[in-house]
Amino acid sequence: MTGFDVQQFRQHFAFFQQQPDWVYLDNAATMHKPDAVIDAVSAFYQRHNSNVHRGAHRLSQQATAQFEQARATVAGYINARNNHEVIFTSGATAALNQIAFGLMHTVLQPGDRILLTQLEHHANIVPWQLHCQRYGIIIDVVPLTAEHQLDMVAYQQLLQLKPKVVSFSHISNVLGHIQPVAEMVRQAKAAGAITVIDGAQGIVYQPADMQQLDCDFYVFSGHKLYGPTGIGVLYGKSQWLETLTPIFAGGEMIDSVSFINTTFNKLPFRLEAGTPNIAGAIGLSAAIDWLQNYNIAQIIEHKLLLLKAFYSGLSAIKGIDILSLPVHNAGIVALNVDGQHPADVAELLNQQHIAVRAGQHCAMPLFSYLAQHNSAQHGAVRCSFAAYNTLDEVNRCLLALEQAVEILTA
Amino acid sequence: MTLEQLLADTKPALLEIQQRDLTDIKQAKDWQSKYRVLMQLGKKLPAIPEKMKQPELLVKGCESRAWLLHYHDKTADRHYFVLDSEARIVKGLMAIMLCLVNGMTTAELCKFDLCHSFDQLNLKPYLSQSRGNGLTAMAERIKACCPAK
Repeated sequence: MTGFDVQQFRQHFAFFQQQPDWVYLDNAATMHKPDAVIDAVSAFYQRHNSNVHRGAHRLSQQATAQFEQARATVAGYINARNNHEVIFTSGATAALNQIAFGLMHTVLQPGDRILLTQLEHHANIVPWQLHCQRYGIIIDVVPLTAEHQLDMVAYQQLLQLKPKVVSFSHISNVLGHIQPVAEMVRQAKAAGAITVIDGAQGIVYQPADMQQLDCDFYVFSGHKLYGPTGIGVLYGKSQWLETLTPIFAGGEMIDSVSFINTTFNKLPFRLEAGTPNIAGAIGLSAAIDWLQNYNIAQIIEHKLLLLKAFYSGLSAIKGIDILSLPVHNAGIVALNVDGQHPADVAELLNQQHIAVRAGQHCAMPLFSYLAQHNSAQHGAVRCSFAAYNTLDEVNRCLLALEQAVEILTA
Repeated sequence: MTLEQLLADTKPALLEIQQRDLTDIKQAKDWQSKYRVLMQLGKKLPAIPEKMKQPELLVKGCESRAWLLHYHDKTADRHYFVLDSEARIVKGLMAIMLCLVNGMTTAELCKFDLCHSFDQLNLKPYLSQSRGNGLTAMAERIKACCPAK
């Protein structure tokens, strides 16, 4: 017993009543939304819809108050020092693009180095690459150990090259491995680097405390935290947010404009061009409010139980090659059936109403690394578990996998 | 292996699929039997040798890669194809696609409605799967073999 009542938890999701046949194990891609989120979004549109920060009427003032309350809720959840350190973006990808773009010239100069890791999502590689190539900035990459964990010895050595920025994921979106982020931030700061954490998978696993972690930037998407799509968070320390060149311009972010010069509004507005995703922000804040009714430690324990049952079931199926480690794992398992293409495995699971993802999961550099060591040259099947998944669903997935193996190897 | 050989080996395989396996798929009593047949289809087609898999032949799905060779016999105005895919189920589905169009004249190919044919075989759901499995991309590539008028 974990003290966590998964059946009670599940009842908050209309999706499971609408789609009782499906076992949804694609949570690392996006999560389902509790009624509290759906209700908050529709209530906003039905009762309060108005633009924020600019209306001359009370409705706009109310919408603004709700939007800014949402910012305060997010800031409180991640323990930011100030509400204006929370910038609303369209998602983690947009936030990483803003950081990479915004640091060029202002902080990063030709010949500077930045440090990424082998297991990053493309969203934490390509935005850097795009600008680094143009500005002549060198990208170094932290390799993995034989267990597919970050090589911390190599990390220390690469920090000696004095990168100006170090950017890494909290949790690998492919393997589910939890990175030692606190230690990584500490070492990076000691080396004088700006630290960026891609928390897309991390934030749902456990709330990240910005003051304790003391990183310079932390980004995540709302839809992976029970919230709506199209809303995300760029957290940054005030001094660094002030430094970023805005990637988008126009609207509320402007202070004064002439054809000679434009000055920008103060934080957070200078980095929020155009009409923001008001309903999205309200939905995300409803997700956080709702989630706080639950004990995160109990949820983590519940997910560990699911993971343990899954691993133990997998060991009984012949020919399964597991890429993820069971320890320090946030609930994501990448696997292959020996000699079979992951797309075939996923399609046979799909036929049995098991929703997983197959392929390289927007992490091609990780897979080109794994391909040298494993059966992973075509990618992997990824099963990602969430708090609302049950032991029964784990068993259904295992049975379906067994059936898939049987058909594939017949 | 040459293009001629590949075409020569593909033709009878597609004919066999059309004459025998399509009926089996249509009459499959459950999804397991249907997939067992589907996975056998790909095996009947010759594999395109690695060195012939030039980048311009690549048809990219999000999850798996496939390759399509096209040959237009201009004298007889007939279009012939050879395909390969990394994934077996996708290769089977693509093989069905090919056997429907292989040997068509330009006019037939331009007129051909893949969606309709797949619907008749109860396979239409596979086509609507966006870019995931690459079937739609393959269908578009086959259609693109119609010379512009």
